[in-house]
Amino acid sequence: MKNLQMFIMIITLILFHTILPVSAQDITSSAPFSQAKFVPDIAVIVDTSYAYNSQKDFIKFERPGFIHQHEETGEHHEHGFNQDNGFNFNYAEISFYSPVDPYFDLFAVVHAGTEGAEIEEAYFTTLQLPFGLKIKAGKFLSAIGRINDRHAHYWDFSDLPLVYQAFFGSQLNEIGAQINWLAPLPFYFLIGAEILKGQNEASFGTEGFEFASTAPYSPIEDAQYPNVYTTYIKTSFDTGKLTLLLGTSGIYGKSRINHGITNTNGGHAFYGSTYIAGADITLRYDLNSYQYIALQSEYIYRYKDGDLYKYNGTNTTKDDFTARQSGLYSQLIVKTGKLTRAGFRYDLLAQNEINESDEAKSYLPRYTAMVEYNPTEFSRFRLQYSYDKSLYDESGSNKVNHQIILQCNLSIGAHGAHSF
Amino acid sequence: MKIKILLYSFITFLTVTIALAFTKSVYAKQLHVVTTYNYIASLTRQITGNSATITALASAQSDPHFIVPKPSHIAKLRDADMLIINGAQLEIGWLPPLVRQANNPVIQPGNAGFLDLSQFVKMIQVPTAVSRSQGDMHPEGNPHFYLDPHNILLLAHAIYDRLCVTAPENKTMYTENFNVFNNNWKQKLAEWDKLMQKMSGTNAIEYHKLYDYFLVRYNMTLVATIEPLPGIPPTAKHIASLEKVMPNVSLIFQDVYHPDDAARYLGKKYSKPIIVLPHDVGATKDATDIFTLFDAIVRRIAQ
Repeated sequence: MKNLQMFIMIITLILFHTILPVSAQDITSSAPFSQAKFVPDIAVIVDTSYAYNSQKDFIKFERPGFIHQHEETGEHHEHGFNQDNGFNFNYAEISFYSPVDPYFDLFAVVHAGTEGAEIEEAYFTTLQLPFGLKIKAGKFLSAIGRINDRHAHYWDFSDLPLVYQAFFGSQLNEIGAQINWLAPLPFYFLIGAEILKGQNEASFGTEGFEFASTAPYSPIEDAQYPNVYTTYIKTSFDTGKLTLLLGTSGIYGKSRINHGITNTNGGHAFYGSTYIAGADITLRYDLNSYQYIALQSEYIYRYKDGDLYKYNGTNTTKDDFTARQSGLYSQLIVKTGKLTRAGFRYDLLAQNEINESDEAKSYLPRYTAMVEYNPTEFSRFRLQYSYDKSLYDESGSNKVNHQIILQCNLSIGAHGAHSF
Repeated sequence: MKIKILLYSFITFLTVTIALAFTKSVYAKQLHVVTTYNYIASLTRQITGNSATITALASAQSDPHFIVPKPSHIAKLRDADMLIINGAQLEIGWLPPLVRQANNPVIQPGNAGFLDLSQFVKMIQVPTAVSRSQGDMHPEGNPHFYLDPHNILLLAHAIYDRLCVTAPENKTMYTENFNVFNNNWKQKLAEWDKLMQKMSGTNAIEYHKLYDYFLVRYNMTLVATIEPLPGIPPTAKHIASLEKVMPNVSLIFQDVYHPDDAARYLGKKYSKPIIVLPHDVGATKDATDIFTLFDAIVRRIAQ
């Protein structure tokens, strides 16, 4: 036994003697396969809040014709933030960016909430295309509208305008490809177009649906190909301290929206075409490096045309259905100093014409005000109050919600700068 | 009908734009250089003469760390043959999205049309450990290296070299201009060095670590900064701590873009002169080009 131990020891010594380099200095100075320097830019942004709502059940209320809940199917159209009274953990956003090679940039954003993590964006962009062209492909926030492609930490308020929540659930975030062209003009003029899969459940959807066995209708099939097309134009002019940015966008796509068509209790589904058009204007006056006043307005219009299916437990009916809906917001942001900002937003879901006749509840306003304290560019504390007159309970009576949110948004790591 | 008219006018617009672009690319012989700051534009102008179109993105009245990234900057970058930046992360907060959105392969980092001047000077105050608990840090060192007039020749040489690569047909002219500039600058350096001699050993405070290369060059000492940490505005506690060192301070430097209330308070209380210095060409009226920028700085400090 002792001999064996001796033997192992001797063998070990011989082995290590040959494997180990001569001096310790050589070990530390060499890392021939290290790729540490190639680590992409990584940032983590954490957003938490403390919220108070005067209507405890506000989350179950609806914005008639625009946003409604389906308790029985468990569908919630708003996966929004700040939904609990008291503490909320809204998200941790982990972002990655690096050039891939001389030809491509790659971005990825992982959005993690209490219920799990998902890829919010993961796309590449071209770097070397001529003639002012650029292609983006993967999963990304569409460039339509003024704020659709902004991540939550870069929003001016703790939530999105109602019109975005109504028409896109939150934002139009799709799998697809985008091309944009920066015109060779002395001012900024960008034209872009996107082909998207069209999974957005608030306006489009790719999943088909079947009807109850008693229905005489053949099932609506899944979308096989890209389902949604967008186009947008953005242009800007500035004179010294004043900057004007104008944008307009259009979206067309097929809608397959199924709210429990085989469920007995008010199941319905829509199959048809949806057209969305939007226009935005931003006017910003920069007093100096630390102070500005910015006025921003956006109007979005949606037209749906197709078939509305309804199920009452025994029969399925099919009717022609059109809807003309629109919403807008107008906001004023004042950066009062290097560390402080304040803002006011007027939100409105304005028009709700179903089958050419005006619905009663076609005026759903909300008023929001906020103040912000940003100790550095990496930390933000925001106090927001909103007076929300857009909510209705199940019996159809208007419920005013007073909401107060104290939001904390902190970021670490290497996060890229934001554009205008 | 309306849609048709709209569509036709849009197609006409596109055609005109493409035609314009084509004409531009055929007839535009002038090299188009975009620089981030005005001092780089002025320096580049010394070498190109009138043979190039030179545009600076930043306003000289703004904090160079916090330039507002405007869409018009993207339009300017789109047609640039060259982009010259200060580097060392001075532009990190505003330039990267502009370069990305410019859809211009020529000026992407790594290509010949992109020049980062920070690569050509020796940086000071390079931190050994980097943490944001120390404020807005620049991991590569203090990025305001161009405020040492002796560094300007190195920068001019780097610009000259790169211009010869991007527009080799103009090399003779660039060489001629560079030599003229080199001689003129050396004369000015001798003049400034002489004027600054008497300032050697003087103690100063400044708002931000902006003039450190200049101070080091002329053997002056920075006693403290008015901001407690880079990018963090002064607090009452920090001002109180400054009051302890104020008796040893001879000069208070103030740039044109930071609030000057703290400097005025300290200057008044301790009867120390506040010297408002330009940090870039155009920041003060007398700093009209790269020469007068340093004339203005030296005159204000050495008077």
